[in-house]
Amino acid sequence: MANYFNTLPLREQLNQLGHAEFMDSKEFSDGVNALKGKKIVIVGCGAQGLNQGLNLRDSGLDVSYALRKEAIEQKRDSWKNATDNNFDVGTYEELIPSADLVINLTPDKQHTSVINAVQPLMKQGAALSYSHGFNIVEEGMQIRKDITVLMVAPKCPGSEVRAEYLRGFGVPTLIAVHPENDPEGKGWPYAKAYCVGTGGHRAGVLKSSFVAEVKSDLMGEQTILCGLLQTGSILSFDKMVEKGIDPGYASKLVQYGVEVITEALKHGGVSGMLDRLSNPAKIKAFQISEELKDIMRPLFQKHQDDIMSGEFSKTMMEDWANGDANLLKWRAETGETAFEKTPAGDVKISEQEYFDNYLLMVAFVRAGVELAFETMVDAGIKPESAYYESLHETPLIANTIARKKLFEMNRVISDTAEYGCYLFDQACKPLLADFMTKVDTDLVGKNFNEGKDGSVDNVQLVQVNEILRNHPVETVGVRLRKAMTAMKVIKTV
Amino acid sequence: MTHHNPVAHITHLNVQYAGQAVLSDFNWNIYPGENWVIGGKSGTGKTSLAKAIVGEEKATGEITFHFKEHSACPPRAYYVSNWYQFTNLEGDRNFYYQQRYNKFQKNDTLTVYADLIHFGQKNDLRYADAEPILHALGFENCKDTQLIELSSGEHKKLQLVQALWLNPQLLIIDEPFTGLDKQSRSNLLDLFNEISDKGTTLILITNDSQLPSCINRFAEIENGRLKVVEQAKDLSKDNVREKKPLPYFLQQEPETTSQNIVELKNVSVRYGDKVVLKNISWKVKAGEKWLLQGPNGSGKSTLLSLLNGDHPQAYASDIWLFGTKRGSGESIWDIKEKVGIISPEMHWYFDRNATVWHTVASGFYDSIGWFMEVKYEEKKRMEQLLDFFDLLPYKDQLLHTLPLGKQRLTLLARTIIKNPPLLILDEPCQGLDVAQTTHFNAVVDELCAHGNTLIYVGHYESQLPSCIEHKFILEKGEVLQEVTI
Repeated sequence: MANYFNTLPLREQLNQLGHAEFMDSKEFSDGVNALKGKKIVIVGCGAQGLNQGLNLRDSGLDVSYALRKEAIEQKRDSWKNATDNNFDVGTYEELIPSADLVINLTPDKQHTSVINAVQPLMKQGAALSYSHGFNIVEEGMQIRKDITVLMVAPKCPGSEVRAEYLRGFGVPTLIAVHPENDPEGKGWPYAKAYCVGTGGHRAGVLKSSFVAEVKSDLMGEQTILCGLLQTGSILSFDKMVEKGIDPGYASKLVQYGVEVITEALKHGGVSGMLDRLSNPAKIKAFQISEELKDIMRPLFQKHQDDIMSGEFSKTMMEDWANGDANLLKWRAETGETAFEKTPAGDVKISEQEYFDNYLLMVAFVRAGVELAFETMVDAGIKPESAYYESLHETPLIANTIARKKLFEMNRVISDTAEYGCYLFDQACKPLLADFMTKVDTDLVGKNFNEGKDGSVDNVQLVQVNEILRNHPVETVGVRLRKAMTAMKVIKTV
Repeated sequence: MTHHNPVAHITHLNVQYAGQAVLSDFNWNIYPGENWVIGGKSGTGKTSLAKAIVGEEKATGEITFHFKEHSACPPRAYYVSNWYQFTNLEGDRNFYYQQRYNKFQKNDTLTVYADLIHFGQKNDLRYADAEPILHALGFENCKDTQLIELSSGEHKKLQLVQALWLNPQLLIIDEPFTGLDKQSRSNLLDLFNEISDKGTTLILITNDSQLPSCINRFAEIENGRLKVVEQAKDLSKDNVREKKPLPYFLQQEPETTSQNIVELKNVSVRYGDKVVLKNISWKVKAGEKWLLQGPNGSGKSTLLSLLNGDHPQAYASDIWLFGTKRGSGESIWDIKEKVGIISPEMHWYFDRNATVWHTVASGFYDSIGWFMEVKYEEKKRMEQLLDFFDLLPYKDQLLHTLPLGKQRLTLLARTIIKNPPLLILDEPCQGLDVAQTTHFNAVVDELCAHGNTLIYVGHYESQLPSCIEHKFILEKGEVLQEVTI
């Protein structure tokens, strides 16, 4: 199979990359009608599979689960998840032939084998849905021309998709239709109805393309989301220990700090996050984040280039074929870092202290969010897509670090994200070596404001605020966040 | 009274909440042999006092403890809050009230047994000592249940088991009787007397009239200071609400097209091998007023969740709601539109950012928290209803900062704002005192005089609306009795 993106002429590459439109809620006025009475069969019953299915059924749709024969016979967790919630469960052979819409919610890596098993069983004119475009775009999977191919991708973990739906709300969602597979023109009506069925239409929907989704998703997860948070966390912890800060305190500050800091990012954008600092601290964070951006820009660009050319997916798929040798090795190494092995101390750290004593992370997050956003937009991805794949998802990943550190983050994210995260981390640490020698405990571990009188230069402060607020990630963010009025506060600590 | 050192010596205590003084220059001595009830009006600072004593709330002033050195009871003060604040395995507290019905193989929270083991290890206790308490509270069968799966009454029991097992020298319990069934409650009174004999000094924050016999002191908080009274009946009561006419829109009979509101035929709910409800058949006709009863853990909340679109196992079961079979293409929002529900779980997991106004507005859309603009006529209705409940002055306050009684009235307002044909009130008066309960139930009676169907859950005969005409009694997931009064 050939990389789909690389088979396209340049104008079509740019056209699909630039596909991003924030949808008006009026576009969903037809509700779930396009799928009413249709037979929906979900393949896979993990967190996304189960929770999306529960929502779709609660929206009045007909949902059942197709599992592999062994999963049913051995009563595996996926089988239990489906039957404990009174769903009909059957084998591919039993359920797929009568399905009007097959929703593939298996892990990315299994897509090729799942599609190869499912496609021959699908009836003429049926529809197939993905929640990630890797299989179509990077692996170049060809789907029969009579089949409609669409994507509905909730930008949250499955448990949140369910929790928000039952609150009467939803999670931000990205939808797309594959231009090579829309023979009857029913792709968009199906995608919209499916999105309404999960509650996504209440929280903001981005009309995207398979290409834009894949190229921006890979970029975001490798750089700001997982890569930079991992590098920043490990460097911060090591620096504190080197400078004599209590390891228990350092471990707690790093584990929970990134969640507290990015919670401010979620509600008020980059400027809202920096507003949580005192004026002198804000100016300092601004200055070092400018420096960080200059240091890391070439690395961000390299990641984007490798994603666009297909080099990244090619290398990773070679590792898949090699039994995940590199992935498993790097995963084991992450488990051995001092940060991972030092339990969070039994100390109380107030919410504000996480900002005041962890200014370095505020600078890392600003630099990473803005760089990822800028690099994606420079590569032809629209600001709306770039926002979702950078700023929007950062707090979600930060929450997984707060839960069980980097090990948990790498366990929860996809293997694809994890592989890219390690590549970034390995390249980023040496780049930052010089920078880190200059860092002291005023930036990480102790209160930056201690011993300072809090005065700043008026003009300088105004300039800094202006630069922060006028960055395009802020302009688009203000608009997109309006649709997410009821964002829930996430708090682990 | 006694010449011993006081167990706790509290002087010049000041506590503020949101810039206002709650306790000011508060003084109190608690002597060995004394067991106190702190009662009186709601919103006077009882919970703040308790939290200040154990150091969970910021306070100035002095609190000195004189614990006995040679005692079987640990030398410490321990506070039991009115709700069990647990976290999931990852430290998260973001739960939703329907979560316990959605089954996912991976556990979200600890089991009761694991939670108890953890508590025992932390406090150096022997598990064997917990067993008689588990038994007395009828809780021994819950060991393998996950915390998220417990009902509100069972959470209360778990808190009580921990406190009684710990047996600290000073034990403060906020609303100890909330949500307990009759048998557990009567056993609890004995358990209180037992630990008092063993050397625990008790402080119960409650306005309940049924108290353990060891209670020998009574007080309330007035203007931020302690006011001691002779007996429980001398404690101040909340002002009786001035009777107002029901808003006009609630005097209209809600539209129902179906003769039968609820019809269950041989319905069972099971998780793996565990049967929670077994062969339940029940018919509720339009306009009927039902009482649903049963001990904690008998399946009441699970049964109700089947009627409100909250339980996934309602699909593929023989359940008819408002004349439509479940799973025939209706959405849960179509069902919720016709049902007004209030339950302790919904209350506790309610959106922490919601004001009183937003809470009531969310009733139009059956959402937990508010996401949509309300129209002009809807605003008018909300104003009338808030005025009816005397809640207008609080409309911009956060729901969870109000006294419990006012929170419950706000949620009742949310429940009835759309004048639904079916009202499901699951222990709506939990945590309310007798006067508040009487008031609440009078409102329910008034409401239901206009043709609504009612399903009401309450443990105590003396605390029910008078309109009840049928009873449905569950025990261990099965129908024990169906009676017409």
